[in-house]
Amino acid sequence: MNFQDWLRADRLPHIYCTGCGNGTVINCTLNAVNQMGWTPEETVFVSGIGCSSRAPGYIITDSLHTTHGRAIPFATGVKLARPDLHVVVFTGDGDLAAIGGNHFIHGCRRNIDLTVICMNNYIYGMTGGQGSPCTPLGAYSTTTPYGCDEAPFDLASLAVAAGANYVSRWTSYHVQELTRAVKAGLETPGFSLIEAVVQCPTGYGRRNKLREAQDMIAWMRDHAVLLKKWRRMDEEGVPHDPATFPVGEFVRRNLPAMGVPK
Amino acid sequence: MKLIIDETRCKGCNLCTLVCPYRIFQEGTAPNRRGIVVPTLDRPERCTNCRLQKLYGRVLCGVCQMICPDQAIRWVEEGPFEPQKVVIED
Repeated sequence: MNFQDWLRADRLPHIYCTGCGNGTVINCTLNAVNQMGWTPEETVFVSGIGCSSRAPGYIITDSLHTTHGRAIPFATGVKLARPDLHVVVFTGDGDLAAIGGNHFIHGCRRNIDLTVICMNNYIYGMTGGQGSPCTPLGAYSTTTPYGCDEAPFDLASLAVAAGANYVSRWTSYHVQELTRAVKAGLETPGFSLIEAVVQCPTGYGRRNKLREAQDMIAWMRDHAVLLKKWRRMDEEGVPHDPATFPVGEFVRRNLPAMGVPK
Repeated sequence: MKLIIDETRCKGCNLCTLVCPYRIFQEGTAPNRRGIVVPTLDRPERCTNCRLQKLYGRVLCGVCQMICPDQAIRWVEEGPFEPQKVVIED
């Protein structure tokens, strides 16, 4: 079975803008799910509200499109009622970090057996490019017309501190690594967060001199630093370029988890 | 196997032109019926997947298929070889 067999062919082409990275993350996730050998009958995709959360509508499995920020509580319900199902949550940065922030932290704390894939496009894309908790310092958006002067959330570090069992961050340029990370997250019992930095040429790139999708992909390729190198730079006391961000596997551990089938 | 771009799905973001190691995907020039400039294929038979997918029994490189946000790139079975009529100009 090819991963493209998991898509609802009658719903395609999807509504995402030209060059949107969410489609890439759907490909990587479906490829990982397909490599796990699961069937559509035993897999559930849950999502909140936002561009990224439209993804389960294009996937052939049963899915839940829930209220804003509450994807993880709904997924918790699905997982605790039917621990035999595999639950994957698609969510965006505005969904997960802003409105669902507390649900996310407590999902990590309870360590429920979910795989959360956060498509971090730095803004609220669907509503027209407002600044989100993940907008980088100095970036322009509709609500930060003079440059964002608030420090952004580091979702991966937040999940590590809150107690998730598997955390990694990749971008939509690193398709093979992202597929491997999603697969590792699906294999790990307990809460796994995969943060996928995606390009949003329409909402974010247009206001930040990265108008084309290719420019934004090239920007992500050039500014992603492997976590190993990032930590070595920390040890050597080399200052980080404020535009760069670490990518890689942040943590993989085996804390006691909820909802794991016996 | 044959590499194809599904013109009903492609939105012309040209991400495939950025990632292909063989530079098979080239930016298109003419818009199609939907007004989208779909990338053109430069000698797609050079693609490793076209040549070796059957031999290895798995997708080999496949970066273009994975990065395509519109799920427009795939490999299809080719029909058996048929002799083509060639018009020889005098």
